[in-house]
Amino acid sequence: MDYLDMGIAEIHSALVKKEVTPLELARLALQKAKENKENAFEYICEAEALEFAATLVEPEENNLLWGIPYACKDNFSTKGIPTTASSNILEGYVPLFDATVVKKLAEKKAVLIGKTTLDELAMGGTGTTGHKGTTFNPYDPDHKHLIGGSSCGSAVAVAAGIVPFAIGSDTGDSVRKPASYGGLVGMKATWGRISRYGLFCFAPSLDHVAYFTRSVEDSATLLNALAGRDEMDSTSSFQPMDNYASGLGNELKGKRIAIINGILDTIRNKKLISAFQKSVDQLILAGACIDYVDFPTELLHAIYPTYIVISCAEATSSNANLDGIKFGPYRGGATYQEVMSNARTKGFSELIKRRFVIGSFALMSENREELFERAQKARARIVQVTNQILADHDAIYLPASPSTAPVVGGSSDKLSDERLIADNYLQIGNFAGLPSITLPLTMLDGYPIGVNLTGKAFDEKNLFGIAKSVERITGLEGLDVNVRKEALL
Amino acid sequence: MKGISLDVLKDAANRLMFDMSEQEYQTLLVEFKSLVQQMESLAKIEGLENVEPMTFPFECSTDYLREDVAEEPLPRDEALGNAGSISDGQIKLPKVVL
Repeated sequence: MDYLDMGIAEIHSALVKKEVTPLELARLALQKAKENKENAFEYICEAEALEFAATLVEPEENNLLWGIPYACKDNFSTKGIPTTASSNILEGYVPLFDATVVKKLAEKKAVLIGKTTLDELAMGGTGTTGHKGTTFNPYDPDHKHLIGGSSCGSAVAVAAGIVPFAIGSDTGDSVRKPASYGGLVGMKATWGRISRYGLFCFAPSLDHVAYFTRSVEDSATLLNALAGRDEMDSTSSFQPMDNYASGLGNELKGKRIAIINGILDTIRNKKLISAFQKSVDQLILAGACIDYVDFPTELLHAIYPTYIVISCAEATSSNANLDGIKFGPYRGGATYQEVMSNARTKGFSELIKRRFVIGSFALMSENREELFERAQKARARIVQVTNQILADHDAIYLPASPSTAPVVGGSSDKLSDERLIADNYLQIGNFAGLPSITLPLTMLDGYPIGVNLTGKAFDEKNLFGIAKSVERITGLEGLDVNVRKEALL
Repeated sequence: MKGISLDVLKDAANRLMFDMSEQEYQTLLVEFKSLVQQMESLAKIEGLENVEPMTFPFECSTDYLREDVAEEPLPRDEALGNAGSISDGQIKLPKVVL
């Protein structure tokens, strides 16, 4: 264990006392990044990080992020730093500007040490489809288990103790699912709460900036730094900000928490159900009011197809700018159409092409009403029911995934209720744009697994308070592969 | 819904300006069978006819004019820095009008 396995406040304290310097922390993080065997990094920003860290001399006592190293998913623009979104179609691309979140973190003087791997263009959930190959789970040195995706590299960077936090993006569950497999806190704030300027667009009605930390407290610290209206993002919210860390000491007494029967009932792992029920018992003991609520079954079955149709359809236009002309490898051709077609045929992997074809199919004039518009209507119904539940509750509480980290090359019954519902329900948070946080629940057979809390729009402060109570119950604050903790559940 | 065939899938791909190998199309054809099964579950939801399609989670309108502040434009060499085919300070493509 070293400084980088600690929480942000603890590292900050050491920096303020000058027990360690930002330059020393950057060197340590860079060394750990270079030694990483899980394929977490697209690009390690050694020169840039060392140059910036060397300028940080006098500690800023009131700035918790001063001198803290971090990593960022490679689908965020970083000026002067190669950015490929783990796709060959962006090989060699160097952005001309910083994403707003990168800019905000630079202003806080956090030190970017690397750009992390992802499923190609963030369109996947396994961490296996990026152009650099599979990203593995650091809890398995034999590399037989996945960390999940699409924010696979950022999850590894935090779970392996390389950095205390990392930025990702979440369109379906791309931070909150890997957080479950990596024993991390994965947070997606309300849609519009954090600016998406500079995030490579996948499906704009579902895309969120999200991030990994190892504690709820660090997660609240990060939201304080990242939230806020941004004129560069017309979808960013004018809603006033909270002090998101100010509710961490709140009591659970009087909080109403809903558990959705139709999702929980599909989970077959008895050890997971047992640990989850123990946590529920503890929440009740702490004063929370738990309600088991129903959700129409046909809507639960509609979650995944709704997501696939909407996300793939939106992705077809979001990625229309990837033409090999303005940026990305130029492959030539006799006409401009051929130039584009050559660049896209050679630049996209098979999986991405398949997703685009699904989107193109859903948008064909003969299918548009039956598929795309119907999915948009199903989304509206799913969101309506979810918001009805949240009208009477502070949060929805469920296991974040039905199993621990999947095995590389493993197969599952894609049409089983567990796969269709429990493995995909986190997408509801994207449909409705709700704040949603995953945090570790327990360890099962040596691998972590998480729970998820989803709250009301712009109610992050309350959600962090409830999540902190769950964290007290699990005893798994600060978990990473170097700081193995005994699960209490 | 339009029937699934290799020609339909090829048409869908070509509309998006890319192509796939015959084997990739065959894999996709198999995947589509499972996908269509799932998409059909959308048709089973009753009462969707009168529901307004949801395009974004919230209403979000940005209707203000930014301040008219003079700014330096992106320098040409930077703007062209990522392009693979340039000539005389411009992006070069095959002739459009022959």
